[in-house]
Amino acid sequence: MNERVSDERVTNRMHGERSTRMSARPAINGQWMTRRRMLGVAGGAAAALPLAACGSGAPEAESGGGGGGGTFLAYWNNAHEYEAYKDVVAQFEKDHGVTVELQKFQWEDLRTKLVSDFQSGNVPDVVEEPGSWVQEFALSEDALSLQKYIDKDGAKIGFPDDWLDVAVSDNTHEGQVYGIQMHYTCTLLFYNRKMLDEAGIEPPATWDDFLAAAQELSSGDVSGTVLNDNLSYSYPWMLQNGVHEYDADSGELLQPRAAAMEAMQFQRDLVHRHKVSPKPTTSLDVTRAAKFFAAERTAMILTGPWDIPIIKESNPDLEYGIAPALKGKRQATVAGGTTLFVPAKAKSPDLSWDFIKRITALKTETAATEESSMLMPRKSWAKESAVQENPDVKPFTEGLPYAEEFRTGIYTTGKAGELEDIYKTLYESMLIEGADAEEAFAAYDDAAKNILKG
Amino acid sequence: MATSAEAPQRPEPVELPKRGKRAKRSPIARRQARTAYVFLAPALVFFAIFFYYPIADILNTSMLTGQRTDEFAGMDNYTNAFEDPQARNAFKVTLQFAVATTVGAIVLGMGLAVLINQKLRGSLAFKLALLVPYLTSIAVVGLMWRNILDPELGILNRILSDTGLPTQEWLNTHPVATIVAVTLWMTTGYTMILFLAGLQGIPDVYYEAAKVDGANRWQQFRRITVPLLTPTTLFVSVMAVITGLQAFGQAYIITRGGPGEASDLFVFHIYELAFRSRNFGYASALSVLLLLVIVAFTLVQLRIGRKREVQY
Repeated sequence: MNERVSDERVTNRMHGERSTRMSARPAINGQWMTRRRMLGVAGGAAAALPLAACGSGAPEAESGGGGGGGTFLAYWNNAHEYEAYKDVVAQFEKDHGVTVELQKFQWEDLRTKLVSDFQSGNVPDVVEEPGSWVQEFALSEDALSLQKYIDKDGAKIGFPDDWLDVAVSDNTHEGQVYGIQMHYTCTLLFYNRKMLDEAGIEPPATWDDFLAAAQELSSGDVSGTVLNDNLSYSYPWMLQNGVHEYDADSGELLQPRAAAMEAMQFQRDLVHRHKVSPKPTTSLDVTRAAKFFAAERTAMILTGPWDIPIIKESNPDLEYGIAPALKGKRQATVAGGTTLFVPAKAKSPDLSWDFIKRITALKTETAATEESSMLMPRKSWAKESAVQENPDVKPFTEGLPYAEEFRTGIYTTGKAGELEDIYKTLYESMLIEGADAEEAFAAYDDAAKNILKG
Repeated sequence: MATSAEAPQRPEPVELPKRGKRAKRSPIARRQARTAYVFLAPALVFFAIFFYYPIADILNTSMLTGQRTDEFAGMDNYTNAFEDPQARNAFKVTLQFAVATTVGAIVLGMGLAVLINQKLRGSLAFKLALLVPYLTSIAVVGLMWRNILDPELGILNRILSDTGLPTQEWLNTHPVATIVAVTLWMTTGYTMILFLAGLQGIPDVYYEAAKVDGANRWQQFRRITVPLLTPTTLFVSVMAVITGLQAFGQAYIITRGGPGEASDLFVFHIYELAFRSRNFGYASALSVLLLLVIVAFTLVQLRIGRKREVQY
């Protein structure tokens, strides 16, 4: 039956002509859409999104400068484009006759882009990563071993002797070095000097001191502390209670378990029981706590040097101090920082290695620190006067010796991403939803069991 | 005048093609068909490369596993999907989201279309205002609503607090309802336009006849408007269910699937599996299952819709 009915025919029908099906069916290009067509459109749309979700985020660029023209493609964190690096890039372009394209991303988007690139085989020349991907990509054979370059040039650039030991071991897989640490940082306690002075409180040194200070300093619009939205900010609390995410010997997660539950419960109680911190939220914004701190709406936060530019830009007059990491069962904090690595399928690895050498040179590191207060992994860097005299940097140089990794060895499971996801669920269910520790850890264990069996 | 000699002869019976056999096409028809295929070829090539090949590739990948997606897993990824509590949770959350956005799209879209069809002054401005959110990217809409609804830093709570009203933390307490509301805010303008087109296709004579018979406004709406909008309602519901089951940006931008897994939409879950966990085999299997679910929903909706379609 013809499903298209003109107004004229409808009018005729009203005057006694035989019935025709009336339809207010949507039209495409002036044609009424039949069911079959509609199903076709629907089926096409159905197929499109799950597949489209596998697409990449940033514009494609021609990769693989081999010298003498072409583009050298580097993936970079959007907050790390320092002037000091721009000078190095300019000289690199001049020396090799290439154009360096720094594509800048937030970490999540960088990972999406990079993993898509690995699947397609069209990879960048060098990548800055947030400190936990190199070993994972070495295991999956997507990262290039830099060992042959280190064997050749290591002594000249001071690698590995001039790098902190942990900055080398975190980028090593089966005895081969796959990445060179570019920044090396840790998380410490930032406090509002004026608020603490007015309350007559010394910067806290233990969990109990911290809770007491947070309670004392919470009033009205000001909260004693702000726990960060991002799960990685829970790592220092875990480490201070002697907990690591993965025990390579036993293959167990979040051990010792009682200490892990206590550390998570302490954070939960700061929010839900003592109400000295607003609830974290689920967002991509890792600077939320820093924004509270800069707006003087909180007295204390745990963060690293990466938030100093945000705090200074938002509130140049803010007087803040940086205290050592807290003590739980012991004094500890989480080590962080970024690493440069070369994808296994990079077109010009020699050029990539030269780029890495220049970016991680002592002179470049010191210039970047002067500009941004960012911390670096070289032992000789810590002795530079620009570092020693910088009040924002010095406390961190004192914190780095007791900083450590929380996720050590987890990459060997081949399930680092999935295990991080369930840790996120654990963190959010307790800190945002206020779930009970027993219940939240039981759910974590169930999910972990399912992941590790797969 | 016809005589008996001139009596009309019975027409020769036409031999119909036997069932299962195709009628032989004339040379002209064959030429026309060839021309049609030539014109269709670019579109077919496009779909083959960008739709059907990826679907075939995903089917293939769904039977692989490992960090490099190069180990054969047979149907393991599919069987795992039915045992995986996270996948089941994501599917449940997505169903809730799809049902709520579909019902909301129909009720709000139809309601607004009926209102705007009253030929009121300023209706064009109203239509434009409702359509603008639909023209805006989900990234912009998502970030905007995140900033508005943030419990501590959001504008809404600042206003509520300044006016002495209780503040909200819907992103934490009702994340699925929040992303449903944001989605409806974004898409209602579009469904309203579809219903408006449907309404304008209903001849006034029906309403005039109904008035003569003494029908009131509500009876006219129930007995004429709603039944005659059935095809539009069917189209809106099919599209809303499909887009609801495929929703991604809302979870990615607004809630990150949380708190916990409270708003872990299925496509977001697939994305996390593929790009964070690098489990492309399992992510592909879930994509295939989602495709099957969407096709099944669409067929059921079309069948129900066909039964309810009215004739006058």
